[in-house]
Amino acid sequence: MAMIEITDLHKSFGANDVLKGVSFAVERGEVVVVLGPSGSGKSTLLRCINLLEDWQAGDIRIDGESVGYFDGGRRRAWPEAKAAKVREQVGLVFQSFNLFPHRTALENVMMGPLHVRRMAKPEARKLAGDLLEKVGLADKADQYPATLSGGQQQRVAIARALAMQPKVMLFDEVTSALDPELVGEVLIVMRRLAEEGMTMIIVTHEIHFARDVSDRIIFMDAGAIVEQGPPAQVLASPASERLKLFLRRYQGDYLAV
Amino acid sequence: MVNVLITNLPYLLRGAVMTLWLALAVVTLGTLLGTGLGILATGRSRIVRAAITVYIFVLRGIPVLVVMFLGYYAFPALGFRVNAYVAVGVAQIVYVGAFTAEIVRSAILSVHPGQIAAAKSLGMRRGAILREVILPQATCIAIPPLLNNALTAVKQTAYASVVGAWELTYAAREIVERTLASFQIFLGVMAIYFAICYPLSLLARWYEKRLVVSH
Amino acid sequence: MSEYLAQTAVLLASLWPKLVAGFVLTVEIAAAAAPLALVFGLVLLAPRMDARAFVSGPTVAFIELMRNTPLLVQIYLIYFGLPVLGFYPSEFTCGVAGIALQHGAFLVETYRGAIESVSTRQWDAARAIGMGRFTAFRHVILPQALMKILGPLGNQLIVLAKDTSLVSAIGVMELTMTGKLAIERSAASAEVFVAIALFYLAMTTAIGGAVRLLEYRVAERT
Repeated sequence: MAMIEITDLHKSFGANDVLKGVSFAVERGEVVVVLGPSGSGKSTLLRCINLLEDWQAGDIRIDGESVGYFDGGRRRAWPEAKAAKVREQVGLVFQSFNLFPHRTALENVMMGPLHVRRMAKPEARKLAGDLLEKVGLADKADQYPATLSGGQQQRVAIARALAMQPKVMLFDEVTSALDPELVGEVLIVMRRLAEEGMTMIIVTHEIHFARDVSDRIIFMDAGAIVEQGPPAQVLASPASERLKLFLRRYQGDYLAV
Repeated sequence: MVNVLITNLPYLLRGAVMTLWLALAVVTLGTLLGTGLGILATGRSRIVRAAITVYIFVLRGIPVLVVMFLGYYAFPALGFRVNAYVAVGVAQIVYVGAFTAEIVRSAILSVHPGQIAAAKSLGMRRGAILREVILPQATCIAIPPLLNNALTAVKQTAYASVVGAWELTYAAREIVERTLASFQIFLGVMAIYFAICYPLSLLARWYEKRLVVSH
Repeated sequence: MSEYLAQTAVLLASLWPKLVAGFVLTVEIAAAAAPLALVFGLVLLAPRMDARAFVSGPTVAFIELMRNTPLLVQIYLIYFGLPVLGFYPSEFTCGVAGIALQHGAFLVETYRGAIESVSTRQWDAARAIGMGRFTAFRHVILPQALMKILGPLGNQLIVLAKDTSLVSAIGVMELTMTGKLAIERSAASAEVFVAIALFYLAMTTAIGGAVRLLEYRVAERT
């Protein structure tokens, strides 16, 4: 049974169709990278999986369980409380980090365990401390986000999401807002997570990283999956014109049209 | 010349004490009311949100004096016999509440939606998000305008004199009508109000500067 | 129910001329005080921002005095105080003067805030293409400050319009005073209140709407 199963997902914002029948599955421990031009619906896809967005048609199953809607004959969205329970199992790291500015790095990581799992404070602190060490920021535990660099903030954000011990981790262009020299430190953390067997769906523009770390690459354009397959194959010999174009742009041919 | 002011000072100071009581009651209760309403105004019930929006819109669009008159005449009309202070006080509390609600609502809505998304992604529910993420930051943002709001409320207690409640301004008019020493008395009264209000003004400005620095 | 509506309609019809007269007077007070306040604020702006302490000091002191004392007391001071000095201005004039003085003082801070909030980088940019300080101010800083000022200015004008009600305390027959008398003489307090509230809401909403429209127009051109 796949960890994540998406069947014929349709999502629109008003008159704008953003996802037009997306279907794919992600196995336990698999690392999937989603590539695509902006506006292709990649972020929206992730936000649907962790129920931050609702959708018009289609099914999402997490670890076998269909989430988001009651379908006893009629479609009805889940109440917040039920959706919150699902989000405990799906970690999402954002492009803009979204750390809580009024809490230290350690306190940020403790937020989930303390206020959702209702862990005792000393226990939560130890868990958070270990996670910060894992992402290489043990010495920044008592710093506020404003004093940390972008790369450091993003690593704290990853630790924060991991603190909930999710079954799946979603990454939404987490290095796109970073200065180039800070990107590496975040990718290292993500690579280690992949090696440890975490199920991951990564939306990114880092093609080299995708080739090295992913088990499968999915290419999306205009709300639909155009092509997918093992990285070596998809990147070296793209089948579709659109993917060929996309890759040329990313290999530096900025005049490719 | 200044003698008139000095001889009447005790009377005026008693008026000032009344003003302070009134101000304290109005500011505390009005701010509490407004904070509660402001939080509700960001909640999920569309009806509640609409009702509070109407309340804020109406009260912010009419003079506080009119609301005070309403209080003064409405209570007896409804069958309650209350003294002038209660009538005027309740009116002002309702008025201050509207402005406070707008400030609080604004502050809550100004917390970056990305943080709320992050909190939701951790599985936090609305209560925890409000308590741990939104309110700590919204409070910080809201304090300078709330302090200014309090300052305005304190000054507005003077208008209670027009409706017949006895406080500092009422006392001042009594004395002026008796002694005709308008300059001395009113300037003296202005000095007393200044002594009450200026510290509040400074506090508000100090807090504003602190906010700018921390960002 | 229709009996009630009919009675209310008759009552309001009889009071209507007086209420309108009161409203007109309210508008006149606001229309007289507002330009005076705007100009007074400008007059105080230069001394307020002057670098020399003996110029900015007294200006700040005056502004702080206006901002930390109730408008009502200021109006009383003018109304009861000037006769002592031998002047006998009308109640209307006293009210307008009081409102203009206080709001002028508030406006100075609004003006100052808008000017100082235009980023220093704009000054750099202007000077970098060779503009002198005055030219830079006139063509780069001022237009941007004007844009930022519309919002706070609009709010201040709404407060000014509501403050006209205070002039009832010295006997001017503007809307609040008219309403108060009408209530005392008739039994229908609630209905008269609603009428007065609607008048004021009409005025404040109109000002708010006009300011927003102006903001929109200015934003379009920038």
